[in-house]
Amino acid sequence: MIDIMNATKYFRVGFFGTKKTAVENLSLNIEEGKVTGFFGPNGAGKSTTIKMVVGLINPSGGNIKIKGYPASDCRSRLKLGYLPENPSFPRGLKGIEIINYYSKLLDKKINKDEIYDALKLAGIFYAKNIHAHKYSKGMTQRLALAVSILGDPEILIFDEPLSGLDPVGRKEFKDIIFKLKKRKKTIFFSSHVLADSKELCDRIAVLVNGRLIKSEDLEDIEKEAASYAEEKKDNLLTGEYSTPLEVYLYDLMLKSRKN
Amino acid sequence: MKKILYGTMYSFKEIKNLKIFYSFLMFALILISGSYFVSQTSFISQGRIMVDFSIFAISIFNIFIGIFIGASVVYDDIEKKSVFLTITRPIKRTEYLAGRFLGLAAAIIFSTIIMMLIFYFVLLIMHKFIVPAGYFAGNVKAKAGIVSHIKNKRVKSAPAEKNSGKNITGKLSIVKPAAKPFTFYSLPQPLIIQALFIIIESIFISAAALLFSLITSKALASIFAILVFFIGSVSSRMNDLVKPVKKIINGKVVIMHQANHALMSIVHFIYTVLPNFSIFNISSEAAYKVNVSAGIIFYRIVYGICYTALLFIISSLIFARKDIS
Repeated sequence: MIDIMNATKYFRVGFFGTKKTAVENLSLNIEEGKVTGFFGPNGAGKSTTIKMVVGLINPSGGNIKIKGYPASDCRSRLKLGYLPENPSFPRGLKGIEIINYYSKLLDKKINKDEIYDALKLAGIFYAKNIHAHKYSKGMTQRLALAVSILGDPEILIFDEPLSGLDPVGRKEFKDIIFKLKKRKKTIFFSSHVLADSKELCDRIAVLVNGRLIKSEDLEDIEKEAASYAEEKKDNLLTGEYSTPLEVYLYDLMLKSRKN
Repeated sequence: MKKILYGTMYSFKEIKNLKIFYSFLMFALILISGSYFVSQTSFISQGRIMVDFSIFAISIFNIFIGIFIGASVVYDDIEKKSVFLTITRPIKRTEYLAGRFLGLAAAIIFSTIIMMLIFYFVLLIMHKFIVPAGYFAGNVKAKAGIVSHIKNKRVKSAPAEKNSGKNITGKLSIVKPAAKPFTFYSLPQPLIIQALFIIIESIFISAAALLFSLITSKALASIFAILVFFIGSVSSRMNDLVKPVKKIINGKVVIMHQANHALMSIVHFIYTVLPNFSIFNISSEAAYKVNVSAGIIFYRIVYGICYTALLFIISSLIFARKDIS
């Protein structure tokens, strides 16, 4: 469904344009109908990878294809919904006006009921006639989610969908992802919260310092985590992380970062 | 095309709600309404002062709208990340950019129309600088030249009426032309053309501001656009100033004064490369009600549109390659 082949991205920073690599030789395949979690510490290159997939950033090397179309081609986004991290909307427009506009940008005709369904699923239907700049962070996130699921896209890409939400908001947002999972949508989401991994994912990819260090099915990783837990009996299940999977992923990231 | 249209409408709605937009609009309206008080400083040609002052206010505030909103219309979208949701839809970046730019153009047209309407009502109240328009002007003509009109009518219709046996006595009440229900006054042609030129000029400078905002920050983009506008407004005059002063003495052309060659080249280069905004300023023609010929109007409109299109094409080429993060 989404093929990332040797994708590399570097940015020029500072006055002299020093090269800074954000993502290096990343190859990843996101399978149809599965929820793939993209984990890594802050600054690992998760958002950069996602932005390359949705065509916001052009890769410096390698290529990315969605359903056979290059990511830079707008046809690749025909059945794609994207929820950015910390979304925002222009001032002075109501929620319903905003979603109406986005519905017009799709290649198929979206009727009023479909718009209302998207708003209801995202849990923001009640605030559709309020100006978007008066929304709280959670409400803005929900409106952006409604925009991304509009038109029933096959692929959904969420960049840190749960960041900054309160516990109630997180729970509700997870429930929405579960609903979408039941509808057999292909979901690719990034997070640095390891607790989300087991709950939501079918497949896990771990990125550290711009390099992919793990990309496996949840079951396989859980097996690895179990055997790792056997080896490391002494200080398992202490501190922040409470499950073998979380501890395994945490240690994996820590080691890779040190290297 | 449909997506551009929706983008234009969305963009227009958004710009219309911007504080900066209606602040400029309000300031311009206050200045236009205040032009009456400014005109009172003169005993003669008060109408001309009103026109000059109002045209200046309309022009400068539309240019401000063009520059400041042009520099922020896409830049703010990127900064606030609201562009993320738009260009990750099945839409080309050029379509998005065209929608934003045309929305701004629509806002400029909207503001110019509002300002010109207020200006028109001010002139209408003061009964200065307005002319009776087309069909509705009949009533005024009847009032002004009723006697001569009736005389002519009598002379022309006399033979026919003789034959029909009707008596024409020349009573005013009989031959009075049908009076129009009201007189409609319009602005003189140069004022309407000036409004059109202000729209083109403001859209033109907004295209420059948009281009700069894609390669630099919002503040710098606004400064660059102001500089381009300023230089573009005076480059024509500067070019005239550095031209050699010639005189014909004893049948021979003698160069009386010549500027430095390097200076001449620089000024000529600036004059050639940068857009010439002075051609859009016909305030003196407007103030003296001198009609502008169709050729000049056509040439200047084409010049403005071509230059704007060129700037937009460069902007879209830059935007298509831009990393939005």
